[in-house]
Amino acid sequence: MAKDPVRVLVTGAAGQIGYALVPMIARGVMLGPDQPVILHMLDIEPAAEALTGVRMELVDAAFPLLRDVVATTDVTVACKGVNIAVMVGGFPRKEGMERKDVMSKNVSIYKAQASALEKQAAPDCKVLVVANPANTNALILKEFAPSIPEKNITCLTRLDHNRALGQLSERLKIHVSEVKNVIIWGNHSSTQYPDVNHATVTPANGEEKPVRSVVADDNWLNTEFITRVQQRGAAIIKARKLSSALSAASAACDHIRDWVVGTPKGTWVSMGVYSDGSYGIQPGVIYSYPVTCDKGQWSIVQGLKIDDFSRQKMDATAKELVEEKTLAYSCLN
Amino acid sequence: MQKTSEDDTKHPTFRGVRMRSWGKWVSEIREPRKKSRIWLETYPTAEMAARAHDVGALAIKGCSAYLNFPELAKELPLPASMSPKEIQAATSRAAASTRIINSSFNTEMLSCQWTGGIEAIVARLELPSRLSWFLGRVSRFLALYSMAKDPVRVLVTGAAGQIGYALVPMIARGVMLGPDQPVILHMLDIEPAAEALTGVRMELVDAAFPLLRDVVVTTDVTVACKGVNIAVMVGGFPRKEGMERKDVMSKNVSIYKAQASALEKQAAPDCKVLVVANPANTNALILKEFAPSIPEKNITCLTRLDHNRALGQLSERLKIHVSEVKNVIIWGNHSSTQYPDVNHATVTPANGEEKPVRSVVADDNWLNTEFITMVQQRGAAIIKARKLSSALSAASAACDHIRDWVVGTPKGTWVSMGVYSDGSYGIQPGVIYSYPVTCDKGQWSIVQGLKIDDFSRQKMDATAKELVEEKTLAYSCLN
Repeated sequence: MAKDPVRVLVTGAAGQIGYALVPMIARGVMLGPDQPVILHMLDIEPAAEALTGVRMELVDAAFPLLRDVVATTDVTVACKGVNIAVMVGGFPRKEGMERKDVMSKNVSIYKAQASALEKQAAPDCKVLVVANPANTNALILKEFAPSIPEKNITCLTRLDHNRALGQLSERLKIHVSEVKNVIIWGNHSSTQYPDVNHATVTPANGEEKPVRSVVADDNWLNTEFITRVQQRGAAIIKARKLSSALSAASAACDHIRDWVVGTPKGTWVSMGVYSDGSYGIQPGVIYSYPVTCDKGQWSIVQGLKIDDFSRQKMDATAKELVEEKTLAYSCLN
Repeated sequence: MQKTSEDDTKHPTFRGVRMRSWGKWVSEIREPRKKSRIWLETYPTAEMAARAHDVGALAIKGCSAYLNFPELAKELPLPASMSPKEIQAATSRAAASTRIINSSFNTEMLSCQWTGGIEAIVARLELPSRLSWFLGRVSRFLALYSMAKDPVRVLVTGAAGQIGYALVPMIARGVMLGPDQPVILHMLDIEPAAEALTGVRMELVDAAFPLLRDVVVTTDVTVACKGVNIAVMVGGFPRKEGMERKDVMSKNVSIYKAQASALEKQAAPDCKVLVVANPANTNALILKEFAPSIPEKNITCLTRLDHNRALGQLSERLKIHVSEVKNVIIWGNHSSTQYPDVNHATVTPANGEEKPVRSVVADDNWLNTEFITMVQQRGAAIIKARKLSSALSAASAACDHIRDWVVGTPKGTWVSMGVYSDGSYGIQPGVIYSYPVTCDKGQWSIVQGLKIDDFSRQKMDATAKELVEEKTLAYSCLN
């Protein structure tokens, strides 16, 4: 165990997702079973006592990989020296709030945190924004932390990606590890486009086959499947009376792990990344793409054929992102 | 480079296999024409390490190699020569013969273990590069080959609650049984929680866990218990404001009597049971009494949380890492009468000598008063801070309890488990009492022969007395 510890920041750490996420990080799910970690946990002043409670439980769990815990309400202290930042904290939408109000509150938060992160984090800090509106929060973070390489600022669409894999595995009654290479395009919102055109099924000792031919129900794949994945978050809230924490935390670990350790050969994942114009999406938004990862860097999978149906959906979610960007900037002025 | 320390143990029968002090198995072979040993990789089981040794031995020594599994040798394809092309062909043939090579997760999970693992160790030894590359490929193949395990069925009762929600992702990620053990989760809760339980199942599907083979979600205890190999009983009736102790006891005793019956009829043979819900010791006792065909050694209760809390308090006091302190004991009841005993606990700093906690802390008064109270009342302190009881740490402790029970405790280390008393240390038989235990081959054994001073004696007896009172109360509720 002679590795230097990695500092991982979790903002909003006293909340539901934070509570699910920190034991996963402390057990090596995010960075591997031989990578010691130091957790930095940030939350707002009203949550300070709860945050202390989480810290106490982390001590009580006697995690061998957890070298230290920094629990604070001070964003400067929280960001100091961090190698990985998972931004779960944000202003949740409350009943009666307009979209503009939610955007306004979050834009202020992410602007402030961008500043602290830029000044305090370790060089090459990798950032994952989870709090909604994830893509736009990440964009604001990027815009106000210009010295953080734009490739280091991402948002979470792995949850949607995993949900899509899960839905396919349930439909086909196979194990989820046998299906891969779905794509989540665009915004982590109800306009996201879960695309199975390049997804495949590989049963044990079997041949890799396209999902479309194995499912043999294009109508379902083009309608109900898409809606299920898009609206899964709401379905979880309806069942649990709380939003997804377990699966969101797990997806955050998957996102970081694949980014840091690399994606398996022949497999890609979905990540919200700064658009470079690939696939005709205008640059300047954080857009979810299919990516492979190697040596700590992600690369967009290029050259995939895009049919008309996909084109229209990909453009619709891009349009929403441009609108969100405009709204976000108007809140700042 | 990991040095062999006195904490390593050679495996009694497998050649080239050592157990590291933290419980993992490492395989090693002698470097060609040298006395020094090559460490190949670390594995969760001795068997996997033994197979890794075999392939390394075959590669280096050919026909004259001593093999742990000579009958499997013909299954291991060998390169005709040490040329990279031959080696690649051999490992590819080996890879093609397994069932799970296509599983992308297994590769990525293993790749987590490789960083800092075999490449670093083998590289530092300056082996001929083809040999070290070959050994790396082969041990990777072996680990994949060994992943063909049958899934284990794990039941969690009260699965829709806080502890359940923290526990199920830990089980699904392999924290409880290891990163190569597929699991099937059985989740039980009561009818009012049925929708929430469905929500948890949905999230488990959404997390696309590679190790999670299936999820059974039900409010029917018979369905829940069917075929389970491990049962973690988190469900119980919580104490509410205004409730008397007798009321809580009464409700829980009924629950555990009913569940005992179902478990006994439906569970797999040799099912291991961990009771978490309070009053844990007495719930476990009732379970045992009403499931007579479940071996009494298979019914335990959780005091690992208290044990881990004690380690945590010592590590904070000494400002050291928690992995450097061990062998505290939690005696007795998982209640405020528990006795956290440090008389046999030790501190072992990295590269340092093992020393008794009492001498390192050098404050017997603190150890005999405040330390004990802190551990006993930690649950209440968590509730005060979080406004909710411990879920994260309880779930984590439950995983530790089961993992150590199934996989074994590291050499030189014991843990605390609530187990059926056999009279050890003068505790009357017939209660579930927390003792120091070691675990091996799926069985726990009480650590015997520890000296008990008067202070400890009095505390151990006090918590035993409370357990006897609880037992009496429990039985009176049943009549």
